[in-house]
Amino acid sequence: MTTLDVVFVLLGVVAVGAAVLVVTTRQLVHAALWLVVSFGALAGGYLMLTAEFVAWVQVLIYVGAVVVLLLFGIMLTRAPIGRSADLDSGNRWAALAVALATAGVLVTVLVRGFRTAYAPLDVAGQGAAKPLGESVFRIWVLPFEVLSVLLLAALVGAIVLSRREI
Amino acid sequence: MTGSAVLNTVAIGDIQAPHLEYGQLGPMLLVFGVAVLGVLVEALVGRGWRQFIQVPLTFAGLAGAFVWILVLGVKDKPLHVAAEGAVGVDAPTLFLQGTILVLALVSLLLIADRQNGAFTPQASALPGSDAEREGIASGTVQSELYPLMLFAVGGMMLFTAANDLLTMFVALEVMSLPLYIMCGLARRRRLLSQEAAVKYFLLGAFSSAFFLYGTALLYGYAGSVRLSDIATATGNNAGSEPLLLAGIALLSVGLLFKLGAVPFQAWKPDVYQGAPTPVTALMASCTLVAAVGATLRVFYVALENMSWDWRPMMWGVAILTMLVGAIIAITQTDLKRMLAYSSIAHAGFLLTGVIATSQAGLSGTLFYLAAYGFTTIGAFAVITMVRDAGGEAGHLSRWAGLGKRSPVVAGVFAFFLLAFAGIPLTSGFTGKFAVFKAAIDGGATPLVVVGVISSAIAAFFYLRVIVVMFFSEPAADGPAVVTTIPTAAAVALGATVTVVLGVLPQPMLDVAGQAASHLFVR
Amino acid sequence: MDLYIPIIVLGVLAFGFAGFSVVMGALSGPKRWNKAKLEAYECGIEPTPQPVGGGRFPVKYYLTAMLFIVFDIEIIFLYPWAVAFNRFAGWFGLIEMVLFIATVLVAYAYIWRRGGLEWD
Repeated sequence: MTTLDVVFVLLGVVAVGAAVLVVTTRQLVHAALWLVVSFGALAGGYLMLTAEFVAWVQVLIYVGAVVVLLLFGIMLTRAPIGRSADLDSGNRWAALAVALATAGVLVTVLVRGFRTAYAPLDVAGQGAAKPLGESVFRIWVLPFEVLSVLLLAALVGAIVLSRREI
Repeated sequence: MTGSAVLNTVAIGDIQAPHLEYGQLGPMLLVFGVAVLGVLVEALVGRGWRQFIQVPLTFAGLAGAFVWILVLGVKDKPLHVAAEGAVGVDAPTLFLQGTILVLALVSLLLIADRQNGAFTPQASALPGSDAEREGIASGTVQSELYPLMLFAVGGMMLFTAANDLLTMFVALEVMSLPLYIMCGLARRRRLLSQEAAVKYFLLGAFSSAFFLYGTALLYGYAGSVRLSDIATATGNNAGSEPLLLAGIALLSVGLLFKLGAVPFQAWKPDVYQGAPTPVTALMASCTLVAAVGATLRVFYVALENMSWDWRPMMWGVAILTMLVGAIIAITQTDLKRMLAYSSIAHAGFLLTGVIATSQAGLSGTLFYLAAYGFTTIGAFAVITMVRDAGGEAGHLSRWAGLGKRSPVVAGVFAFFLLAFAGIPLTSGFTGKFAVFKAAIDGGATPLVVVGVISSAIAAFFYLRVIVVMFFSEPAADGPAVVTTIPTAAAVALGATVTVVLGVLPQPMLDVAGQAASHLFVR
Repeated sequence: MDLYIPIIVLGVLAFGFAGFSVVMGALSGPKRWNKAKLEAYECGIEPTPQPVGGGRFPVKYYLTAMLFIVFDIEIIFLYPWAVAFNRFAGWFGLIEMVLFIATVLVAYAYIWRRGGLEWD
């Protein structure tokens, strides 16, 4: 085990542990904040695998924007701020079984699929900004431009659903 | 990825401009462009004028794109992958895109019909609040509907054309997102409509996640998201089997959800019932065409070498879909819900054409989609016409004796139901015949037996509606039939196509056969 | 990995400074608790009282969050574009990005005209 391996495993432990806390905490706001920790550890994992741009996307979009949207969602609805008993579902054992089964299948698939896969960690990887930029703006130009249309549609929808004065 | 090939060079200006075939991308670009123009109209034009500009604009955009598709289809030059391989513009794609555009045009007739009052004047107003009453009194409409519809249609066109899983995912989102919003815009029964929108959104987002996970696993398997590369990799047995199988399974969940196949059908009845009926017509026709188109392409191109692995799974799904759709439909008392279950059963019939994986299967599915799309829009159009004080009279008991008071409307609706049931001399019969014949030729005879049995079950509840309409006494306060020109035009178009494709199906079968003759491009 | 050592060092310094400030403030500062000190923002203006049980914030915050997330996603694409910019032969890179931004700007124009940027 090298230092990198140890750090990577630690990041993984943090990501999984925080994710468990997201679903077990009794406080909604805490769940959202634990999500930040989980996403952050995941971003660290991407960084370790030399996918630095993906790591930045994870930080800027997921930690930065998605969690903000979640917190706003908590503020906008009558969701309880603070400890609440409603967050404890009666289905938790069934949910646990489903979660464990899903995790079992996916972990088995990934381990069996990528057991022999190898990626060098000492050169900049495919997930860095430069190779991504080079392929997005040449090979993936059509989906990229369509993405702007998706963002436009999302904003129009947001206005339609929230603005009073038209 | 070609990125790795250029990674080690450092020359400046060595990435050439992407090659875009604007001629072949034109129909999609036109629809998206008009949609953006529509948003600009929303931004810059005064409230009173918007509706009068948006309707012709949307109509022109859709019709222009359809003409463009016709030109592309008639020119008959060898069509190929375009936009650096992101889309495949081939004959089946043109057929599907053309079908989507025509069906969208007919749905537009329903959507633009302001007199049927299907849409809320203000989506943001709380149901039952003063703001909502003011909005209704002022007679405004939420004209953002038209750009949203164009976004959805553009996404559907791209969804059927996408030649790699990444483009397909982007298209899936572009198609779904506007539909989620449009579902929540019904004027009557606002809470039901909003519930439908939220349900559709949550389940749709969930299924998108499945699609994306499947894409990631297939990328891990083949090292590419391009459908042809995945096919090559499966041909060479290149990667690890578990990744491939799990990838296929997860990707199929995403696709089958959009199709509404059992066991991913739970959203369909709620969404079809809650959404404004014109939007339901759009979803039941165009979205189904797009979903089947993308499913066809994935299974015919990317997974063609894997048919021994996915066929048992798809057999199970198709059998369940046909039977569950037909059996649960019997217990329904709401007409929109009943048609939703009928749509589930039809998704099962379409899957038999997908399973055939042959040229005949492809052409049969293409024909079926066009035929079913027109019939279903016509049926939903009739539902918008039968109204009482609280809006559409959706409950079956309210339709009692309609045949005695409005024989024409009831007769047309009965005709649509017979077409759903697949009675000869309707388009439904021809479509079912084409799909089932292809399935038998492909060795799926048990599937066809199940299909015929579930058609018989389905015929039971279609006939029940007909019996209620024609052989029971009308109630004194029964619903009135309100006829407006656009809705009547949509009904007439649906009925005409259903008759023509039933009596003289050969020209259309020829077109579908020609479109399918070279299968999909790689 | 050597590439990241300056970033890691900077991160350690930043976290160290933050932790040091909080701990030293708590240890060395005087502790006089009163109402003003316990406010969420110690800025002199009395915050509006919150309704019991949390209550709901106006829906316009949602629009702010949506605007933020959409423009955040738009900005994220500028990074790879900027890094790869000098590799593009000709104008196509610039045209692509202008087209992308222009489309999202249409949404901006729409929101602006509809009063989505006004706080009432």
